[in-house]
Amino acid sequence: MASKPKIRELLNESACDHNTTKKSTCSTPTPGATTGGCAFEGAQIALFPYADAAHIVHGPITCIGSSWETRATKTGFSGRDLTQMGFTTGISTSDVVFGGEEKLAAAIDYVVQHYAPEAVFVYATCVTALIGDDLDLVCQLAAERHGIPCVPVHAPGFVGSKNLGSRLGGEAVLQHLIGTAEPDTVTPYDINLIGDYNVTGDMWQYTPLLKELGIRVLSTLSGDGRIADIRCAHRARLNVIVCAKSLISLTRKMQERYGIPHLSLSFYGQRDTSAGLLAIATALGDPDLLERTQALVAREEAALEKKLIPYRTIFHGKKAVLNTGGNKAWSIASALQDLGIEVVATAVGKSTEDDKEKARMYLGEKGVLMTKPGQEQAKIIDETGADLLLAGGRSLYTAIKKGIAFADVNQEKKKSYGGYAGLLNLAEDLKNALENPVFKNVARRAPWER
Amino acid sequence: MGEVIHKTVKPLQVNPFKLSQPMGATLAFLGVDRCMPLMHGAQGCTSLPKVYFTRHFCEPIAMQTTAVTDISAVLDGGDAGIVEAVKNITAKVTPALIGLCTTGLTETKGDDIRGIAKQVDFPLVWVNTPDYEGGLESGWALATKGLIEQLVVPAAQCNRQKAVLLPHVSLTPIEVEKIKEFIAAFGFTVFALPDLSTALDGHLGEKQAALSSGGIAVNDIMGLADAALAISVGDSMLSCADALLRKNPAMRQHHFAHLHGLAASDSFTALLLAESGRSTPPPAIARWRSRLQDALLDSHFSLGQTRFLVASEPDQLVGLCQALGEAGGRISTAISSVDSTQLARIVSGEVLVGDLEDAEQRAGTVNVLVSNFHAEAIAHRLHKGLLLRGFPNWEQVGNVLQNDVLYEGGCYFICAAANVATAQREH
Repeated sequence: MASKPKIRELLNESACDHNTTKKSTCSTPTPGATTGGCAFEGAQIALFPYADAAHIVHGPITCIGSSWETRATKTGFSGRDLTQMGFTTGISTSDVVFGGEEKLAAAIDYVVQHYAPEAVFVYATCVTALIGDDLDLVCQLAAERHGIPCVPVHAPGFVGSKNLGSRLGGEAVLQHLIGTAEPDTVTPYDINLIGDYNVTGDMWQYTPLLKELGIRVLSTLSGDGRIADIRCAHRARLNVIVCAKSLISLTRKMQERYGIPHLSLSFYGQRDTSAGLLAIATALGDPDLLERTQALVAREEAALEKKLIPYRTIFHGKKAVLNTGGNKAWSIASALQDLGIEVVATAVGKSTEDDKEKARMYLGEKGVLMTKPGQEQAKIIDETGADLLLAGGRSLYTAIKKGIAFADVNQEKKKSYGGYAGLLNLAEDLKNALENPVFKNVARRAPWER
Repeated sequence: MGEVIHKTVKPLQVNPFKLSQPMGATLAFLGVDRCMPLMHGAQGCTSLPKVYFTRHFCEPIAMQTTAVTDISAVLDGGDAGIVEAVKNITAKVTPALIGLCTTGLTETKGDDIRGIAKQVDFPLVWVNTPDYEGGLESGWALATKGLIEQLVVPAAQCNRQKAVLLPHVSLTPIEVEKIKEFIAAFGFTVFALPDLSTALDGHLGEKQAALSSGGIAVNDIMGLADAALAISVGDSMLSCADALLRKNPAMRQHHFAHLHGLAASDSFTALLLAESGRSTPPPAIARWRSRLQDALLDSHFSLGQTRFLVASEPDQLVGLCQALGEAGGRISTAISSVDSTQLARIVSGEVLVGDLEDAEQRAGTVNVLVSNFHAEAIAHRLHKGLLLRGFPNWEQVGNVLQNDVLYEGGCYFICAAANVATAQREH
């Protein structure tokens, strides 16, 4: 079970920078004023990308009925992509009264028989946690029956936020999968990629570069991930956390248990991508590798710079206001700056202390960190003469009213903005937004308005 | 007529297209002007549907949560969370109404929201919608019934010109508008409850998603009881019509299983002729009827050689199957998300309550699938034609402007179906 002490321990992460100053743990959500996702969503985000595993949600229909096939996490798995399927016990009134364990066991049997997964993840939800179904026992018996790992994931929505759910997902992997198999070979250049879910193929923007350098991705949690690989993750030389604070508990524990050091980085924008590659090479401690990485970075940056030339003129002198949440507050800002766009303001209302520090670093003294972007952004657009608003759909009207270009950063992305090549995708999309006359056309007054 | 399978034997749902009662209730509340739907559950109960509807409607969506935690699930009977949520909502915005619905979590722990509602000093309508019972249609209908029972002021007199439309959940905003206009063309003043046609119809407006914008006004709901006519569309709405009639037994009630295709449109027109005392409809309606006749003939060649698999909510399913069948489309399999009295009306090789795994297993000899976004992967894998209908449609823009009903929408629908079938054959 997701016992209280375990949750408190996960929320009080000593490896978090902000924990030296701020002892309080993640706050509880406020009734009537909460927008974020729940722990189940966090676990789903962290673990669903394992496409060769089945993900069974033990609960009523809402949890998966409204959320399957929503995230474009790409996989190279040649079998059926189980990430893009929805499996749920869809419990009914009688299950609530009499318990859902039998149904769950039958559901696992059905899925193993029909889809032959490498592992089964079973997700608790609020209702099944409340009625006290024993997922651990059901999973243990199923694992014995079928000879594959059956992993109970105790992240029912009501235990907390998306972030906590991702931690609990990582916890389940650590407890049930990591260290349960040995790799055929090991190299001094084996790393685990933690926290990149390969949404729109983000990961594939930089994994070919790692391969070229001779760095082997031993396993991932969980973008383009395989169960067989993550079981061997304890043999890696380095854990690389990509844009995901939530899994730092996992990497700290792997350091304690297996002596694997970890580093945290981002692959958004040119500067971060280069810095990330160099940081990995440095951490692996091979001078020759570092030298080759420096050469590769120089080559990639030169090639990218050449391709960006036509965009530079378009973006020259352009100012943007960024209204999004979490790590996007600085990672997208950094990418925009790489394109030569000045970021005059970014929203930090939903960001962690760490993210706020980074946002300040990227935006500099003059940049505005908006805590109430909904109210502030219109005024900031006027004051700064911004040309572009990057935000969610709620802000569209602000952009129309101000007659400036708009790009929806919260819409599910269709293409990757990661790595060097992704920056070109971002440049192309922003160029299209800036050149599109639609915002001015829509802002036309109706003939009956004065 | 084929067999009707009312209950699945599988221990789970695989690729479900069934949706939950709280989602249906939330949509109904979004069809009330300046309403804030409030889900009594964990924060995910709200955040997942919010993202879902935002993507479907391409609009920001107003909804809030009581954000039940594991601790409050045990220590709070719901009183504290709901009262605080209302306080926090009204500190920021001034809704005309708060629409409170429960979820599986709070029903399992047994919160008495009826009692709690009395403690709230703010206009509020409550409804019990556990997500381990029913589905999207029943959630929508329960919320509508709640709006009627808790808001409508009883009346004894009838305003002869006033009509109330009770549309089922799968009618798109533009369809609701077209049905309203159709009734109005016979001289009636029409109110739809709920009314998404002025709320989630994809209009550009200011302050979006602070509250629902558009929909039927709370005052208009309160005054519905003096209508002469109550017209329910979709079997899920029958209980709502009954609730409305209890507010004024003099009201005349008419029910339509659906408004798809020529025959249903004819019955609907016949009723409006009788109720309005006219002998002929307005010319535009007669014109659209003749266009639909022509469209049926133009499309019969393609549809007559096409086998369809249709998967949808039952009130929409019965209409889609009927409309396709009128021009000779052959329904091999009809799959409903939940059980319904509608299933007995469907002419199909087989009718079942199921999921999209059932659809995939039965799609072998079918040419065209009619279903939601999730069927796209099946169509792609099995090289089938696809007509996207129902919730969710995350792929195409403009789905709120998709009109399949009555004579006019029937033309668009039957031509679209024929074209998909033809393209599939020539592919």
